Amino acid sequence: MDSSHSVSPSPRPVYLPEGEHQRAKILVAGPLGVGKTTAIKTLSQIPTLHTDEVMTDAAAGADDLSFVGLRDKTTTTVAIDFGRLTLPGGRVVLYLYGTPGQRRFLPLWEGIAFGALGALVLVDTRRLDESFEVMDLIEERGLPYAVAVNTFPDSPDYDLEIVRKKLDLAPDTPLVTCDAREMDSTLSALIALTAHSISSAGVGAS
Amino acid sequence: MSRGHQRRLLPAYLATGAGGAPLPTTLDTLTALRASGLPLAAYHTPVHHRVVELVTDGSLTAVEIAAYLGLPASVGLMLAEQLVSDGLLKASVPVPDALAPSRAGRPSMQLMEEVLSGLQSLRVA
Repeated sequence: MDSSHSVSPSPRPVYLPEGEHQRAKILVAGPLGVGKTTAIKTLSQIPTLHTDEVMTDAAAGADDLSFVGLRDKTTTTVAIDFGRLTLPGGRVVLYLYGTPGQRRFLPLWEGIAFGALGALVLVDTRRLDESFEVMDLIEERGLPYAVAVNTFPDSPDYDLEIVRKKLDLAPDTPLVTCDAREMDSTLSALIALTAHSISSAGVGAS
Repeated sequence: MSRGHQRRLLPAYLATGAGGAPLPTTLDTLTALRASGLPLAAYHTPVHHRVVELVTDGSLTAVEIAAYLGLPASVGLMLAEQLVSDGLLKASVPVPDALAPSRAGRPSMQLMEEVLSGLQSLRVA
């Protein structure tokens, strides 16, 4: 979402590895300024890219390209950031998509969400309530998610149990702290999410 | 070679030359595409040419093609779809059919386990 942080598309594309591999995706969701783009940049092995998605204020019509043709005043462009990393061994290429937090942007990322392994929801303890909307959207889609408290220098040091209570998380939803600027910290959050997706899929299958 | 910085001459909704009629999309945003080497035809638009040129030396996913050309993901998908059906691009699915998402678009257990172990080995590396 935070397109000002996006590197302009590189004139020289970074191609996919030649070998046989699978491609998977994880959403990085949360309100504006919570660190989605930072987390994606921290992990991406290519300069982060974005697609400029067009939407109208009437969100229901945002997908219909014929409306775009009208060049209506209510048309706005939203950048969706993403990054890519090839996991060791080269058998999986993982895409991370920044997912804006408001319901009105839903038509922009519904297609992107399809087939995702899960969502990492970033929250800021100074404004926990701003993450409710995106958590609702992800729950409605039945997508497994984990919550990561992105630690900012001046954010109050909350007890995670208090955060869990305030966010009204299910007992099995992972809640971790992370520094989106740190590789290991952000990786750990993704690992918690992936492990949770695996265990919830196991429960669903039985 | 300033593809990414070039000003887009055509609005996105005209790039496909399809008059805005939505095509049924069978491709995924993560379908990888590569030029087949066949020549473009007279009816292909400049944007079609740019897509083919972009993936002549290697593969990119549909969403990456859209990003490099400054187009919405849905337009990148439509262009890819057209060029695949014209035989100009070869497509490869994100996951093998046998492992394709079955439960409401969720990835297979095997893929999720690969992701987990891959992320874990990145952390210790």
